[in-house]
Amino acid sequence: MEQTVKVTNKSGIHARPASVFVQTAAKFKSKVTVTAKGKTVDAKSILMIMSMGLVKDTEIVIKAEGEDASAAVKALVDLVQAKFGEE
Amino acid sequence: MTESLRGKGVIAGIAIGKVLLVGQSLDGYLADYKVESEASELAKVEAALKAVAEILQDNVKKLQERNMPEQSAIMEAHRMMAQDPMMAQSMHDKVKELGSAPRAVLAAADESAAMFESMDDAYFRERAVDIRDVGKRIAKYILGVKEPALGDAAVVLCGHEIEPSVIANIPTDKIAGVLLGQGSTTCHAVIIAKARAIPTVAGLGDKLASIQDGDLVILDGETGEIFIDPTEDILSTYRIKIQKQLERKAYYAQLAPLPAETTDGVRVELMANIGTHLDVDAAMTYGCEGVGLFRSEFVFMGREEIPTEEDQFKAYKEAVEKCKGKLCVIRTMDIGGDKPLAYLNIPKEDNPFLGWRAIRISLMRQDLFVPQIKAILRAGVYGKAAIMLPMVINVAEIKQVKEIIEQAKVQLAHEEKPYSDNVQVGIMVETPAAAIMTPVLAKHVDFFSIGTNDLVQYTLAVDRVNHNVSYLYDHFNPAVLSLVQRTIQAARDNGIWAGMCGEMASDPYAAVLLMAMGIHELSMSAPSIPRVKEKIRSISSTKAKEILETVLQLEDGGEIKEYLYNHL
Repeated sequence: MEQTVKVTNKSGIHARPASVFVQTAAKFKSKVTVTAKGKTVDAKSILMIMSMGLVKDTEIVIKAEGEDASAAVKALVDLVQAKFGEE
Repeated sequence: MTESLRGKGVIAGIAIGKVLLVGQSLDGYLADYKVESEASELAKVEAALKAVAEILQDNVKKLQERNMPEQSAIMEAHRMMAQDPMMAQSMHDKVKELGSAPRAVLAAADESAAMFESMDDAYFRERAVDIRDVGKRIAKYILGVKEPALGDAAVVLCGHEIEPSVIANIPTDKIAGVLLGQGSTTCHAVIIAKARAIPTVAGLGDKLASIQDGDLVILDGETGEIFIDPTEDILSTYRIKIQKQLERKAYYAQLAPLPAETTDGVRVELMANIGTHLDVDAAMTYGCEGVGLFRSEFVFMGREEIPTEEDQFKAYKEAVEKCKGKLCVIRTMDIGGDKPLAYLNIPKEDNPFLGWRAIRISLMRQDLFVPQIKAILRAGVYGKAAIMLPMVINVAEIKQVKEIIEQAKVQLAHEEKPYSDNVQVGIMVETPAAAIMTPVLAKHVDFFSIGTNDLVQYTLAVDRVNHNVSYLYDHFNPAVLSLVQRTIQAARDNGIWAGMCGEMASDPYAAVLLMAMGIHELSMSAPSIPRVKEKIRSISSTKAKEILETVLQLEDGGEIKEYLYNHL
């Protein structure tokens, strides 16, 4: 289960959005990854996510494997599309 | 033998206490550590990660209960790092490579920290300190290192960098002062110390080496002075200073709830000038009746991109909420060529003070201005906010801003974001043009706030930092007093309020004149409030008016000052 989504909030997946993203991913049992710029990282790692430098307009692939995979992908895609409640 | 040092005073106040070196070296412990089998070392890492995450979780909860949001957010970030799968993985790999669990933990944290240090963004670079802090904490857990032992007496914490976890964990009454080697005033240790008003000196660098654990030190957080092993003479001098500090504090605390009212019942509102939303609480302890100037520059500075509406909304909302129903006047961006911002692209100007700055930038760069206006209108929902425009010289600028405000409201309604319709709009009167035109401008705004720093500079054509001409800079110059009086009169004639937020407002002698002229509000740095209040409470409005009448007859600023010092 995977889906591509574009980061649209102005500041990108920066400090606060990164922690919200990771906390959301951590709620699911599935293994969740984020792929961007040819690199794949664990979506449950704040350090990995922050180190990706996901600025506005980056396309990312959210992928999950496990029993709640589709719910996990949906929750994270929704979060990115809702701009993390930011601008 | 007393040794004296000087650093950068960052949080005012005097402290005397024994030094407790923190951020201590683990080298000794690491050398004594007995490495066991790989499986056992791996298990130790696992157990330590779990235990430390639990301790941090507990810290977060305690700090939340004690209503310390900044500190609890920092500890929450630490908790997430301790539970980070990448961190755990890298620690496991390092155990296989190095054998020793504590060394592996430190090496893994170092590697992550180095990655963050190489990032462009200042925010991420500073997180490196937090990552190393978490690593050290986990290593200490494995090594069985106890946190610094605290006795009954308050100590002076000393270290090159003090980990936020260390300072956050020590009760305020056990910390007399803080000495830091590094010089950043935005690091987490300084933010925590500021929130607790702990006297702090930073930027000591190598001089730190001459301070030993257990040394008796005196530090002055205002001047940055430090005395190591002071003589009895110096000690008694500083004990007296501390005593006076306490007495003044107690006296000011008594004064805080009282109004700034003359003996015959004329009141002036005293408000605070603040730089960030974090300053409001401290300002309230001096008895301010709201915020008369919130310099919004801080949200624009120290970053590489335009702050978002959301970022600004959060800062303004917090300040407005903390004013608890009292007015919070937010000045829109007041930046120009003298302090350029990368994303503003201000061309180099020969005359930045007569150039593209403040409202002139805002009106041309609506991508900056509209989000700021929207953020203030939204913050207005949480109390009483006002918009204040800097550097206005004519009515056209005010009309343009008012149109933008109306458009911003339409946008907010469309975005279904709640906003306030009762946000006052006023201007800084800080150019001679505005001061002269106040009878006209008053018909278009809800208030005036006189910005004397610029008004004096522009009226007298004096750059106050040019030491050849700074002697001419004087807010008692009759030309300045005349413009100030004209502004206050225009406000009164048109039924709006007039205040002042420049340095003149914090001069108790000037405050008496301003009160006699009929000013409604004086806004100043919070620590000046008690002195001004004391002066106003000591005089009657009749007497003040007599003094004003005489002063207006005098022909020279020097004469005016002399007269005031002799008669007040």
